[in-house]
Amino acid sequence: MSAKQVLTTLMMALVLVATGSLTQAADMPEQASLDTLAKLFDGVEFDHAMHTDLGEDCSACHHHTTGTGTTDERCISCHADSDEVASVACNACHVADPFSAEYINRKSLNLYQYHVDMPGLKAAYHWNCVGCHEAMDGPTGCQDCHARTAEGDDFYRADASDTSTSGKGGH
Amino acid sequence: MSGISRRRFLAASVAGCAATTLAGPKKALAAGSFTGYSDGMGVLVDLTRCIGCRSCEAACNKEQNLPAPDRPFDDQTVFDETFHGGKQKRRPDENAYTVVNRYNPESSDHPLFRKVQCNHCNEPACLSSCFVNAYTKTKEGAVVYNPKVCVGCRNCMIACPFNIPGYSYSSAFDPVVKKCIFCHETRLKNGLPPACVDICPQEALTFGKRRDLLKIGNQRIQTHPGRYVDHIYGEKELGGTSWMYLSSVPFEEVGFDPNPGNEPIINNVKDFLGTVPMVLAIWPAMFTGFHLLAKKRDGHDDHDQDADQHNGEEGGEQ
Amino acid sequence: MKMLLECGAKPVDSHVDEKTEKSWSFMRKMLFGLTPGQYLGQALRNPFNWILGIIFAIGLPLIAYRFLFGLSVVTHGSNDYPWGLFLGFGLFAMVPLSASGFMLGTAVEIFGRHDFKPIERLALLNGLLGYLFAVIYLMVDLGQPWRLPYPMVVSFGPAAVLFLVAWHVATYLSVQVAEVSVSFFEWIGWLGGKRYIKKITIGLTVAGIILSTLHQGALGALFSYAPGKVHPLWYSASFQWILFFCSAIPAGLCMVIVVSTVVKKTMAWRCDANFLDNLDRCTLGLAKGASMGLITYLAIKLISVAHDNEWGYLTTGWGTWFLLEMAVGVVLPIMLFAYAIRHNFVGLARFGAGITVFGIILNRLNTALITFNWQLYQEIPHIFEVIISVTIFAVYVVVYRFILYRLPILFVWKEQPQEALATEAVKAAPIRTTPSPAGAMYRKMD
Repeated sequence: MSAKQVLTTLMMALVLVATGSLTQAADMPEQASLDTLAKLFDGVEFDHAMHTDLGEDCSACHHHTTGTGTTDERCISCHADSDEVASVACNACHVADPFSAEYINRKSLNLYQYHVDMPGLKAAYHWNCVGCHEAMDGPTGCQDCHARTAEGDDFYRADASDTSTSGKGGH
Repeated sequence: MSGISRRRFLAASVAGCAATTLAGPKKALAAGSFTGYSDGMGVLVDLTRCIGCRSCEAACNKEQNLPAPDRPFDDQTVFDETFHGGKQKRRPDENAYTVVNRYNPESSDHPLFRKVQCNHCNEPACLSSCFVNAYTKTKEGAVVYNPKVCVGCRNCMIACPFNIPGYSYSSAFDPVVKKCIFCHETRLKNGLPPACVDICPQEALTFGKRRDLLKIGNQRIQTHPGRYVDHIYGEKELGGTSWMYLSSVPFEEVGFDPNPGNEPIINNVKDFLGTVPMVLAIWPAMFTGFHLLAKKRDGHDDHDQDADQHNGEEGGEQ
Repeated sequence: MKMLLECGAKPVDSHVDEKTEKSWSFMRKMLFGLTPGQYLGQALRNPFNWILGIIFAIGLPLIAYRFLFGLSVVTHGSNDYPWGLFLGFGLFAMVPLSASGFMLGTAVEIFGRHDFKPIERLALLNGLLGYLFAVIYLMVDLGQPWRLPYPMVVSFGPAAVLFLVAWHVATYLSVQVAEVSVSFFEWIGWLGGKRYIKKITIGLTVAGIILSTLHQGALGALFSYAPGKVHPLWYSASFQWILFFCSAIPAGLCMVIVVSTVVKKTMAWRCDANFLDNLDRCTLGLAKGASMGLITYLAIKLISVAHDNEWGYLTTGWGTWFLLEMAVGVVLPIMLFAYAIRHNFVGLARFGAGITVFGIILNRLNTALITFNWQLYQEIPHIFEVIISVTIFAVYVVVYRFILYRLPILFVWKEQPQEALATEAVKAAPIRTTPSPAGAMYRKMD
């Protein structure tokens, strides 16, 4: 299933409702609805509490620290001692529309800076979730995380003659 | 007699001059080499990110109003399809402007997927081979096609080094070439990314200015040592293309022609096109000269005599 | 026809019926002097016509089928093989086989080789018809043939090799029509038109040389667009156009030999003594020219293989095929011609010419079809594609024969004398009794 899984097209968005500064466990949301990009697939109801139980620390998913510093080697060289940022929500940095003319023009002007090749929100979700799910044998099918909408069925031509063998199967 | 020769010589010269004028612009347009509009857009395809979901195929189908597929776009069994004795994988055609193929490269422990579509060359072979100028390289970087003037010679399909254009052979009255146009009409010229890029869940397709994409591509190669082959396919190949590829395995293992050369296809015919003005300019004088020499050698204008005798008609035709 | 000749029928070769002293009616000219009954009789007795009938019965409906339902129902043309038999044979082989027009035109009109005069008109006609039918093959293959004039009037792609081909073939066709029209003017009896063409002969011939040089080469250059697709042994970026141009020379000359052989065997009644008596000598002369062309071609071919360092390919399967093509299509005819010329074996020269024509067709098919996409897969043409190609070729033969039967191509037209006195003279003396200066010249050369 692979592919499907990630497919996303449609995406969801992380709406970390709670917010403000999530510096303490108490501020941490139990549940997050990642649904701002939802169109061909429903949004993801993300069980944040369950994932925090699994994870070693916040930086396993969040680059920006919420108590623990970053562990990514490429980040450490600059950000070993960086302060916490105001928001650790994915959509605080990863934009929903990374290929808008405006965004691309801004990129052009800052080509030699770091972070210029930052993925959009949809890719950020999928890379983050699916990468880990593969490593930890989590679900990786598209509809394991978000059900396809009627519009999605139409889009993928689910009704095309041959019966779909698609579906399950990892990649 | 000499009067005749002169008149004939003049006639020949006039014919030659007319031909030269006629062919004047050929060389001019063929000359030079073009490396793309500076603000032209492009797409960087990162094979390490593609998961073979075929959403791009679905998006393309919808955006371009293409006919319904035989199988749903989430059906992955299409990757097992091969053609012509197993040598060929799927290719774009008149019903699908882009297809994704799966490869099992020797140097990788997992399959890789490669999206195929028009690469939108800087100096497109299809464009330079088209005798009705049906193709245009737009300033946004797309290679678009005007079906209203296409005669259907299919030279573009012969010329395309990537085997991209498809032809609607089954249409009797309006067969045309069909290929990816970078969503130029509906999206690109309005500053939007093509539909396939928009839909990609993995951002395997990065849309941007071509010159920026080259820097971004090189940055990716640098910041992820070992992940990529140190090469951006399409940066220089065949004069450079607007769509370019990054891969974790040598490109020939994922179906690319490893050595297409960096010369655009049109350079192969420049030698010939260069001879055109020379032939047009030199031949008339040269052969008329031969003619005069041949007559002189004979010592008489036997051409006319022979003609007279041959026709048995009045000798003083001049 | 032989029967009719024995019965005293005489094919039309002048405006006046010698028996009745009256002008032939247009109708009788169309029937080359036969009565309608005689005409129909000879046509039906000829078994070749029945074969043609069968071909047309199958082929013409298929051509209609193609235009009503698209290329896909009759060809295996595909996105990987855009060009099939229609172009591979019809365009790429017919055009070099039609180089005869400009070759003989040049020899006779420019270089003053009037010894080839008896066969010049046949060569010109061969050129015209070959091009005409190449265009017809093209029309069948084009997706939208009604747009063929587009590169001339609607939208210009002047940097494209095909643009050059289109313009030059169109222009050259007009030139050839003008060249051949002399025969037509004689036939209809319009001397003014003939005189005009005579005056511009040199201009036409030179224009023919220019246009032929360029578009024979351009057809080769078309394949320069596909460096990765044509097998390296048949591809050469630098020499492709020279190879095509150079091989067109023996191709055109040998096609004339082949056609004249067929003519001699099947329609000797239509040829006059001037043609028949000079044919063997002309054939050997053409064979000389063709072998020169073949030797040049062989040399350039070797240079091109060496230039691109393609020797390694010779040991592969494709290499064997290549060597076979060169051995049969080039080296063998060179040897046959050499022997034939040395020992005056006209029959052998004719055989060699046949082989050369075969070799050229093979070479063009190899380039356009057989070795095309050598790294992908080989396409086998659809049976309907073959039938349609044969049908168009049959139409070509019919048109060719139609013209040869009527127009003064193989015989000299006896102009209508202006005075009775002249009439006497012409009647009294067969046309070619007095040796012309040109005649004396070639006798010397032989």
